Amino acid sequence: MATATYPPPPPYYKLYKDYLQDPKSAPEPPPPIEGTYICYGGNYTTDDILPSLEDQGVRQLYPKGPNIGMPPSVLVLIIYFKKELRSLNRELQLHILELADILVERPSQYARRVEDISLIFKNLHHLLNSLRPHQARATLIHILELQIQRRKQAVEDIKRRREEAQRLLKESIGTLEDTGASFVLK
Amino acid sequence: MDIISQLQEQVNTIASLAFNTFGTLQRDSPPVRLSPNYPEPPANPTEDAENFAEQAKLMSAALVKAAKQVDALVAALPLAEGGEEAQLKRIAELQVENDAVGQELQRQLEAAEKELKEVRELFSQAADNCLNLKKPD
Repeated sequence: MATATYPPPPPYYKLYKDYLQDPKSAPEPPPPIEGTYICYGGNYTTDDILPSLEDQGVRQLYPKGPNIGMPPSVLVLIIYFKKELRSLNRELQLHILELADILVERPSQYARRVEDISLIFKNLHHLLNSLRPHQARATLIHILELQIQRRKQAVEDIKRRREEAQRLLKESIGTLEDTGASFVLK
Repeated sequence: MDIISQLQEQVNTIASLAFNTFGTLQRDSPPVRLSPNYPEPPANPTEDAENFAEQAKLMSAALVKAAKQVDALVAALPLAEGGEEAQLKRIAELQVENDAVGQELQRQLEAAEKELKEVRELFSQAADNCLNLKKPD
């Protein structure tokens, strides 16, 4: 039974020999990476936006709105989401039907149709994913509104209780003045 | 589940229905005559053919139903026609209002705590007085 040993730890540990005595003699940790980096053969970006379809090499089937020269995170895509989603849905159904037809008549040409169907699916999913930032902002708005409502409620409660407390105090002053005068003059 | 996730699930359902349909059709369809040179294929018992036609109808009905479901979900999307800047503006307004209300709340809270302290002080004095522990001023 042949098993491979684990790889040795990286040799940087020698640099930290005097760390206990002098923490500054050891090298600083590497700074955080910016931009794109490659990990296990895949490209990752540190920018948290949805990569556009062209970046993934997929043709985009719905129209793109006017691009006002701003950074990609503020791209204004004036797409009519509902209309595009509905038309993509209809196109998908048509393509499925086309695939069924072509399997009956010319079965060897299925590849192109299958590619078209997968293209439509990719577009559908990309469109749905691009709705997520909008949803995030709407959720934030909703949370802020709820918080404002709760705070206003709390302010009202505190005001009411303070007034109640003042009223009770005045009452008790009155009661004390009636009955406590004899006590105080002891 | 929120509506965008439901839409994504429904799209994936359409995909799985589609390949189930084609797989079933491919696996179970009866042999058909391709060219007049070869003899007619043996006709299998009709009960298979009936079930097969039934299944094909059911599967296509399911596909169409799923597509209609997607349409219904798309219609239910609460997309306010504000766009990004309108949302950001609203968020800024709400933040300002939230800060103002927060400060009001803070003020009320401080005043209430001050009054609470005063009442506690008065109460302890009255109690001492009652119990004759120290002479009142």
